[in-house]
Amino acid sequence: MSELEQKIRSEAERLLKEGLVDVVIAFRKEDAPLRPQPAFFTHPEDLENLTYNGLCANNLANYLTRYPRETRIGMLVRGCENRSVNALIVEKQHSRENLYLIGIPCTGIIDWRKVIALTGEDILGYEDTDSTLIVRARHQTFRLPRQELLHPSCQRCVHPNPLSADILLGEALPEGDPTLIRARVESFEALSREERTAFFRQEAERCIRCYACREACPMCYCEECFVDHNTPRWTESGTTPAGTHAWHIIRAFHQTGRCTSCGACERACPMDIQMTYLTDKLGKDMWDYYQFAAGMDDKTQPPFAAFTMDDKKHFQAGGKLS
Amino acid sequence: MTDHKPKIAFFQCHWCLYAPEDQEWVDRRLPDNIRLIKVPCTGRIDPLFVLNAVQGGAEGVVISGCLPEKCHYKEGNLAARRQLQEFSSFMDYIGYDEARLRFVWLDLQDRGRIQRELADFENQLQQLGSAEALAARQPLEEGGAHE
Ligand code: SF4
Ligand code: SF4
Ligand code: SF4
Repeated sequence: MSELEQKIRSEAERLLKEGLVDVVIAFRKEDAPLRPQPAFFTHPEDLENLTYNGLCANNLANYLTRYPRETRIGMLVRGCENRSVNALIVEKQHSRENLYLIGIPCTGIIDWRKVIALTGEDILGYEDTDSTLIVRARHQTFRLPRQELLHPSCQRCVHPNPLSADILLGEALPEGDPTLIRARVESFEALSREERTAFFRQEAERCIRCYACREACPMCYCEECFVDHNTPRWTESGTTPAGTHAWHIIRAFHQTGRCTSCGACERACPMDIQMTYLTDKLGKDMWDYYQFAAGMDDKTQPPFAAFTMDDKKHFQAGGKLS
Repeated sequence: MTDHKPKIAFFQCHWCLYAPEDQEWVDRRLPDNIRLIKVPCTGRIDPLFVLNAVQGGAEGVVISGCLPEKCHYKEGNLAARRQLQEFSSFMDYIGYDEARLRFVWLDLQDRGRIQRELADFENQLQQLGSAEALAARQPLEEGGAHE
C-alpha cells in the first residue's frame, strides 16, 4: 500500500468514525485489471478495499448529483474533480457545507488503453510509482515510463492541484503549461475546412450511441437528456451519420463554460472516439471572450448563465463577436 | 453564379420588425425558398434548432432579433447572443462555414432592412455553393423513433 493510499484511508476513516460525513466517495480495488472502480464507503471496516493510484480514471464529481443535497459527502478530489465540484456548486447541485473534499495533487491519470497496447491484456498485477508503471504480465514484467502513459487530457492539464479542498494530502505540484491545451485547439483550427470536417466525421460517425461519455461526465446530470426526449423528438436517435453528428455537437456544446477538461468522457468511450478537441475549443473561447475558466471558484456563473449590457461592445454590426 | 435558390431557415423574433409593412412582407410575401420560424424572442432559439435546420436541409440560417438594449424581454437576447454566437464559431470549427449563419439585429430605423439582408444572404449562399459538411437527416417524426 502506498503512503498516499494510507493517508487517504486514515482520513476517510476519521470522517466516517467521527460521523462527519455519511459517505466517502473514492476508489476500490478492481475486479478487472487496471480498472480501479468508484466506491461509496459508509462503514469504516469497508475501507480496507480503498485503493488509489494513477489508474483511477473516473471523475468522482460525477457522483455528487446522485445524492440529495443534505447528504454529507466526503470526496476524494484531484485538480479537475475539485473544479467539477465547484462548477456543480455554482449550479446549486450540492451545498459546500455538506461536502468534505479530500484533495490530492494529481500526477495524472494513466490511460489503460496505452498500457495494454504495450503489455497485452494478460496482466497479473501492477505498481504505480513516481516515474514508472511496473506491470507484471504472465510472461514478462514491464517497466513503462509513466509520463508517456498519461491520458492526453492529463498531459495537457493546467491545474493539477485541488483548489478548495478541506485537506490536502501531499505537496502541491507546479502548475501545468497553459499553452499545451490551447496549442491543440489551435492546430485543429489551422487545418483546412475539409480536413476539419473529415476529422469530425471520422470520429463522430464511429459512435454507437451508448452514452458512456454522458454517464461519465459530472456536468451531464440532466434528468432527461435532449437525445432521450421524444415528444417532440429533437434529434435523430440512431447511429445514422446525422444522429451521431448531432449528438457530438450538442453534447459538447452543453458543456460550454462548464467542462473542466478532465477527459473522463473520452476515457469512458468504448469506441475510443476523440471528443475533448470539441469541449477544449469551447473552453478556450470562454477564456478568450469572457476570461472565464470553469470551476476556478464555486461562485462565478459561467458565461451562458450570465450576461451584461457591455456585451454589445463585443458584437459587430453583423452580429459576430469582434 | 447559378439560378439555384438556396433554402434558408429564417428565425424571426416577432418583436424585431418595427415597421408593420416589413412584418407584413415577412408574414405574407416571403419567397418560397425561405422558411419562416417565428419565435417570441431570440432567447427562445436553442442552438439545437439551428442545427436541426441545417441538418434538415437549410443551406443557410438567418436569425433576426432586436438590438441588445431594445429586447422586449429586457435581457432575453443577451444570453441568446452569447450562445448563438459561440455556436456559430463552434460549427465553423468542425468545418461548417459560419458564413452560412447570419445574425441581423434590428433597430427602429431599420425599415426595409430585412428584405435587403435576406437578398444579400441569398446572394452570399449562391457564391458559397452547396453545403455538404454535415449529414442531412430525414424529417423528424413527432413522438416516435425512426431509423
Ligand atoms: S465534457 Fe468530458 S472533459 Fe468535459 S467535464 Fe465532461 S467528462 Fe470532463
Ligand atoms: S448532453 Fe446535454 S442534455 Fe444531455 S445530459 Fe449532457 S448536458 Fe444534459
Ligand atoms: S461513449 Fe463514445 S460511443 Fe458511446 S455515445 Fe459517447 S462518443 Fe458515442
